[in-house]
Amino acid sequence: MGVHVRLRRGSGGGRLLALAAAAVLVVAACGSSGGTPSPNASGGAPGPEVLNGAGPVQISFWHAMNGNNGTALQALVDKFNAANQGKIQVVATYQGTYDDTLAKYKAAIQSKQTPSLIQIYDVGTRFMIDSAQTIPMQAFISTDKYDISQLQPNILGYYSIGGSLYSMPFNTSMPILYYNKTAFQKAGLDPTKPPTTLDEIRADAEKLTTKDASGKTTQYGFGAAIYGWFMEQWTAVADQPYCNNGNGRTSKATKVLVNGPEQVQLMTWWAQMVNDGLAVNTGRNTTDAQNAFKAGRVAINIESTGVLGGYQTAAAGKFDVGTGFYPKVQATDAGGPIIGGASLWIDQVNHSAQEQRASWEFVKFLNDPANQAYWHTKTGYFPVSKTALNDPTDQAWVQQHPQFQTAITQLDQTKLDVATQGCLLGVMPQARQNTEIGMEKAILGQATPQAALDAAVAADQPLIDQYNQATGGQ
Amino acid sequence: MTGNATSAAPSRVSTVSAARASRREGMTAFLFLLPSLVVFLVFVFYPLVQSFSLSVHSNDIIGRPTLFVGLENYVAMLTGPDFRLVLWTTFSFAIITVVPGIGIALGLALLLTARIRGIRFFRTAFALPFAFSVATSAVVFSVLFNSAVGVLNGFLYQLGSAGLNWLTDPGIALISIAIATVWLQLGYDLLVLAAGLGAIPDELYEAARLDGASGWRLARSITLPLLAPQLFFLIVVSTIQSLQNFGQIYILTRGGPSNSTTTLVYSIYSKAFAFGSSDFGFASAEAVVLLLIVLVITTIQFGILERRVFYR
Repeated sequence: MGVHVRLRRGSGGGRLLALAAAAVLVVAACGSSGGTPSPNASGGAPGPEVLNGAGPVQISFWHAMNGNNGTALQALVDKFNAANQGKIQVVATYQGTYDDTLAKYKAAIQSKQTPSLIQIYDVGTRFMIDSAQTIPMQAFISTDKYDISQLQPNILGYYSIGGSLYSMPFNTSMPILYYNKTAFQKAGLDPTKPPTTLDEIRADAEKLTTKDASGKTTQYGFGAAIYGWFMEQWTAVADQPYCNNGNGRTSKATKVLVNGPEQVQLMTWWAQMVNDGLAVNTGRNTTDAQNAFKAGRVAINIESTGVLGGYQTAAAGKFDVGTGFYPKVQATDAGGPIIGGASLWIDQVNHSAQEQRASWEFVKFLNDPANQAYWHTKTGYFPVSKTALNDPTDQAWVQQHPQFQTAITQLDQTKLDVATQGCLLGVMPQARQNTEIGMEKAILGQATPQAALDAAVAADQPLIDQYNQATGGQ
Repeated sequence: MTGNATSAAPSRVSTVSAARASRREGMTAFLFLLPSLVVFLVFVFYPLVQSFSLSVHSNDIIGRPTLFVGLENYVAMLTGPDFRLVLWTTFSFAIITVVPGIGIALGLALLLTARIRGIRFFRTAFALPFAFSVATSAVVFSVLFNSAVGVLNGFLYQLGSAGLNWLTDPGIALISIAIATVWLQLGYDLLVLAAGLGAIPDELYEAARLDGASGWRLARSITLPLLAPQLFFLIVVSTIQSLQNFGQIYILTRGGPSNSTTTLVYSIYSKAFAFGSSDFGFASAEAVVLLLIVLVITTIQFGILERRVFYR
């Protein structure tokens, strides 16, 4: 498969240590399929027969779900284990945040202790492909003739390259606009009409921002975390790629494109809103922005669908939470949000065919509509399975949380193209950070929006070049 | 460094006839030191050598060393756009934590020498921060500092002020972290200084009083000189600690806003582990530079300050 790239391996050097390291690497390269495309990857994944008489196959599963989400995931794992007693045993381990999980995975590759199955965030996708440790889902899909038409195509889009699915989306969320209906009413605005563009947010915020007698702001019109993810969303909504080479999907991206007119217009608007006292800057910590909305200090907020439950609980008895589509920079913007979240990868290097097959069985189990409905209603993540939305428990849940309908409609209305698939970039997590620093500089007025975003793009460049060089160019 | 100094001490025996005995003693001393030496070798010196080796190599995307690149990582770091800001932040942070930290601890320690009822309670209370972990106290401070619902802004509102953006204003964030750090460090500093004060014999004060000295004169001529060993120890140890601080920054600001709280240690972390990064070469180069900085500062402190320390 063309996308598999050989990793540059150590050339040694004079030192004993380096020699030893090189020896280990050579052994690693011989002992495993390493960076070379394995025969399995080209279509022949282990079939169901490998599990026959294999006895209980234990698979390790690393994930980044804690709290409520972790409990829901463990319940699914337990259900799977109970149904596959004596055949497959999944041992799920919480590894910390997505970043932590990725860092541990890198260490695990070095020590050849990778888990059988791992959950990795969307922005880690390009890295996962280049690390050449995993077997693409497409291999199992071909072997099993597994029907993926029951899965949401927009969600599969992110993890597909050249029509081939690399990892199975698991927990997905998308950003929507949240607003305080009660505050809208008090300000004389129509509580059934959330703003749809930046200009409309500003117009509403001018009415929603209230001050007390001493001139202190008691309620801000708008407030959102300085979160790089939002910039990716705004770019996709504007139907523009975040990085070049078809969002890194025709060939490896060599440049990030977040300093265009659309992004500059967005940051100019945002900085102006903060400067004029219509928006509050709660910084980069997403929890702080969420708390401001929950406390009624912010009337319009943008956040992931994942916080809906928390917002409703916090607002109960105080105000009504409304939801709307993710706002557009310009009314003519024709794209839509990217479906973010994380996906599951099956490790191949140093893992037996039985293990790989057992991991795939578990992945299939998670895709099951009933399990997706459970996952959706327990966590608020968007179901990967289309039919999950027809499940009676799921429908009852959506009825209780009518705000979630906004997300379903938004997904249905989003066309699947290169822009809304999202950018694949090996250093995407770092690029997101650089963008965030740029956004923050613009909002704090430390640089003009153009200069701040130019600096973000400039900071990405050496990282991208280094990464592409290390993975053998295109 | 200090380990070597102590291991050399037993061999200093004055008479020649005792040379053999002293060699045997040296052997015994070595055996006693062996366990700690092994621990040092495995957990300190080996990683040190490894760090140095990593710093002269480039990495693949997983962080494995690949090509020998000489000083390229060092050049990239020294000429990088952020390096000056990072150094400035690191040194500013050291100064605004060490000076107020020891100053406040000294003031409190002097107050706590007062012979009043319930002083033991206050001593314990003031030393209590020592018992808190960095993570716990940082989480508590993040709630105190919260600009929307935090207690600190609550006080400021009462005073009619608009409140501060403790952790989101790039001009204030480093000071906020320093406040949390000083508080955390205070208990330890206080314990050390209080012990030092308690060891100063009362006769010295009595004698000085008979000579007509009082107040400031007592503090300057008796308390401070006799407290010099403890102060010197705290200055060296807190400086090293402040240069290596990580937990508070990680929990409170993640190096932000606008990199205003990115110290050298945080920069090492973010290059090596954060956000999917695994640039161990660059991070190791930074780590080697940090080691040099700590070495130089500690040497200077020993050179300038230790001469003025009076050990009883």
